[in-house]
Amino acid sequence: MDDKLLEIKGLKTHFHLDQGVVKAVDGVNLVLHGSGKTLGIVGESGCGKSVTAFSILQLVSKPGKIVDGQILYNRNMGTSSNEVVDLAALDPNSKEMRSIRGGEIAMIFQEPMTSLSMMYTVGFQITEAIRLHFNVSKQEAHQQAINMLGKVGIPDPEKRVNAYPFELSGGMRQRVMIAMALSCNPTLLIADEPTTALDVTTQAQIIELMDSLQDEFGMSMILITHDLGVVAEVCDEVAVMYLGEVVEQSDVDSLFNDPQHPYTQALLRSIPILGQGRSQQLNPIKGSIPDPFTRPTGCPFHPRCDKRIEGRCEHVHPKLTRTPDGRMVRCLLYEEVEESR
Amino acid sequence: MSSVTQTPSMLLDEVDDVNEVFMASQRTLIWWRFRKHKLALISAIVIIAMYLMAIFADFVAPYTPNSYSVSHQYAPPMQVHFLLETEDGTRFIPHVFAYNFTRDPVSLKQTFEPDPDNVVTLQFFAPLEEPRMFLGMFEIHHSLFGASVESGERFHLLGADKLGRDVLSRVIYGAQLSLSIGLFGVFISLFLGILLGGLSGLYGGVVDNIIQRVIEFVVSLPSIPLWLGLSAALPPQWSVVQVYLFITIILSLRGWTGLARVVRGKFLALRSEEFVMAAQLDGSRQLRLIFRHMLPSFTSHIIASLTLAIPSMIIGETALSFLGLGLRPPAVSWGVLLQDAQAVNVVISAPWLLLPAVAVTIAVMAFNFFGDGLRDAADPYGR
Amino acid sequence: MTRFIIKRLFYMVPTLLAISLVAFLIIQLPPGDFLSTYVSNREAQGEVVDQAEITNLRNRYGLDQSLPVQYIIWMGNVLQGDFGQSFQHNRPVSDLIWERLTLTMLLSTGSIILTWLIAFPVGIYSAVRQYSMGDYIFTTIGFIGLSIPNFLFALILMVVAFKFFNISVGGLFSPDYATAAWSWEKFVDLLQHIWIPIIVIGTASTAGLIRIMRANLLDELHRPYVTTARAKGQSEFVLIVRYPVREALNPFVSTIGYTLPQLVSGSIIVAVVLSLPTTGPLLLAALRSQDMYLAGTLVLMLSVMTVVGTLISDILLAWLDPRIRVSLGRS
Repeated sequence: MDDKLLEIKGLKTHFHLDQGVVKAVDGVNLVLHGSGKTLGIVGESGCGKSVTAFSILQLVSKPGKIVDGQILYNRNMGTSSNEVVDLAALDPNSKEMRSIRGGEIAMIFQEPMTSLSMMYTVGFQITEAIRLHFNVSKQEAHQQAINMLGKVGIPDPEKRVNAYPFELSGGMRQRVMIAMALSCNPTLLIADEPTTALDVTTQAQIIELMDSLQDEFGMSMILITHDLGVVAEVCDEVAVMYLGEVVEQSDVDSLFNDPQHPYTQALLRSIPILGQGRSQQLNPIKGSIPDPFTRPTGCPFHPRCDKRIEGRCEHVHPKLTRTPDGRMVRCLLYEEVEESR
Repeated sequence: MSSVTQTPSMLLDEVDDVNEVFMASQRTLIWWRFRKHKLALISAIVIIAMYLMAIFADFVAPYTPNSYSVSHQYAPPMQVHFLLETEDGTRFIPHVFAYNFTRDPVSLKQTFEPDPDNVVTLQFFAPLEEPRMFLGMFEIHHSLFGASVESGERFHLLGADKLGRDVLSRVIYGAQLSLSIGLFGVFISLFLGILLGGLSGLYGGVVDNIIQRVIEFVVSLPSIPLWLGLSAALPPQWSVVQVYLFITIILSLRGWTGLARVVRGKFLALRSEEFVMAAQLDGSRQLRLIFRHMLPSFTSHIIASLTLAIPSMIIGETALSFLGLGLRPPAVSWGVLLQDAQAVNVVISAPWLLLPAVAVTIAVMAFNFFGDGLRDAADPYGR
Repeated sequence: MTRFIIKRLFYMVPTLLAISLVAFLIIQLPPGDFLSTYVSNREAQGEVVDQAEITNLRNRYGLDQSLPVQYIIWMGNVLQGDFGQSFQHNRPVSDLIWERLTLTMLLSTGSIILTWLIAFPVGIYSAVRQYSMGDYIFTTIGFIGLSIPNFLFALILMVVAFKFFNISVGGLFSPDYATAAWSWEKFVDLLQHIWIPIIVIGTASTAGLIRIMRANLLDELHRPYVTTARAKGQSEFVLIVRYPVREALNPFVSTIGYTLPQLVSGSIIVAVVLSLPTTGPLLLAALRSQDMYLAGTLVLMLSVMTVVGTLISDILLAWLDPRIRVSLGRS
């Protein structure tokens, strides 16, 4: 576990509804190496990427529950007080979990509009986070909040610290969220689609901000998004998810140049190319995401896959295998190659 | 970039995005609605039963409301026994024991002792001592159940009041006025509410402003003093019918404001929908479509609000009559019946006089549950 | 903010005027001339009525003038603090009302506090532990509570208290203390009697309040800002009270305004049933006996309180909710 900051093994988070069980996350394996690295998690809506992120901090709301797996967090990595904690085994309301939340692993969310409380000033919400994890006075925390606001690029932070979230624009609110998350200097920042709700220009600004903050603070990041463009810019490694499983994980360059899993290939193919004009044919992935209550047998992607092996893919559920170049892929095509060696 | 999801499962016609399924609120919605249905169903049956009882009161009640018996003043409820020893052995014959009266010479209080030798058998379709008019239309000679003629005694399942009148019969008859006032009052509220709320929402601007001020004003009048004041102004010589109508109107004067607000809200939302503008540009055909889609959600909402307005009318009438400011004897409503239960010492010695209160409570509860269920079905995302 | 208050106060004036008009009309509704009724009542009691006194009253209230003039005279008197004479009691109206006002307010304040003390925690608990056994129990009790008319509840409580606990209820004082001067013992006696009315009146609105609190809180509990607070590492209890409860309180505040008229009217029907010496029964008796000025003053007072109460609610809401407060500050 030495150079892995976070390792998720076989995570299963299920939702028990009256109609049946929705296996939002069904056996996810992920690794985040080193420090200061960014892991992107991509996939279509409903593939379970957000639920995975929420599971890490035990923020999944009822009726969702982590039913299996481990989330191994390498606390104080590289120091003498190093210990590995299984986050999935912690009680969500325990002191230990609460000290990790915000203090060591922080999270920012998709909708800055509704993710901040309208009843309290921006400054209060940030100082609350600071004082939960550090023993400082109100004034000190207040000053730190102002500093953070300045760092995330909010003009006039001394004034803005006493503003209410509804007085700020969407982009500013997201900056406030980032400031709040980073105010306690966490080792890992989880960002759940931080730019989806923003307009394109603001998106670019926020991504740039997060990038530079990562340089400055040195924290690792897990970035959840469905936007492959963002992934290409910011991430070091990428994991592709489909129907609650990771189907491919590799470094970002290899993923874009040489996608292995048929789903990844189809995804990349489906992106329209700028400049090709209106005569360009769109290549959507055929079929649609299956109903969560009726998952396909065998490989979850096989109904939509043009590389499927008749007679095998619908019966055998592929395991996540490591290819020779160190990448991970979950597909029978690569299992066979492995086996045949 | 997300592809369109097809979601054939039952609950998912409300869901646009599969992700919503993961949110706890969906599950709670369905579960809650399911539970509500059972309660709402039971309540609906109770309500229908009560109204049937009211309509057929002439047939259902053992006695007419004013039939009295001096010897049975404040008689306690009689217990029904089912097994009777006859010459042919023990039979299933519902019966009660008639009362032996003894009057205490000092306090002049009458005490009632059930006399096991004086058996009063009960039967269904009991013949009446005197024929009654059914809803003033034709004569009937039997009631749903009653004492068999041979015994010649009276029976009081729920006891008797200070004039020896049967409480059970009076409660059954009381349902006629108590339940109908609610219904009529609510229709008046409905009319006013839709009219004013609709005008307010549809035209907006000045009209809306004026009507809103009026609503605020009406709401700010404290209701009880208003009702009391208006009722106290009732000339004592008015007939029962006139009083009845007057009370109905008074009660509905407060009720229409809530409905008007709901209607106005709906109309305002309608106006701001873009497709209204599109319809106006496109011609009337789309307008018709709009109303075809809008109206169902509209009417179910209104029905739910109406159902929830009825209980307050019932309670209002009961309260007014109880205080002597509403319906008056010889009219029989649950509130009038409760007038007899005003004095504490009376209530303590004859607690069965409070039974009309049970009827009120059951009716109100049934309407509340039913209305709640309706409202949930109409708008599962609302509160 | 101040401009907002001033504007609302300004709008209040026509409303108050309209209300005074309605109050006046209500009193005028019962047919007959009050003065002749008054005279015949007094004579029936065997008293001699002085002609000068009658003329005096007639002039003071302009009773032989047209309705609009009477109204103006009445309003003029009211604004000067002359609330008129009660025909029934033959005393100034202000004396009668004043006597009962303190008790009424004490009773009402007690029941309002009780209501809030019960409704808030239960409502919050019900929402946070939705579908638990506790929630079901509270919801059912709440429904039943909402359905029983509270004056009937008062009657039932009285019967129960008498039959099982042998407590004689009714009234706010034992006979010995009723007309005695105020003393510590009298206060203790009051406390001994007042708890039943407080329970009856308090529990009447509790059910409704619990439902509102529960519904409001349920709306807020699953919002993203609650998750954010959790993600910061805040404890469940603190974050629930600080964030969703705070947000859920806003619609609540608008109902506070209605408690103000309650302070004065003190739940009329329950007061009648329990024979409480509050302003409620006074109003009822006044209306019944067409005691014009007493009834009119009370109705006017109640209406004014209602309007003022609504204003206070609005101001409170504006002050408590930063969104409104800030937008007002800007305008």
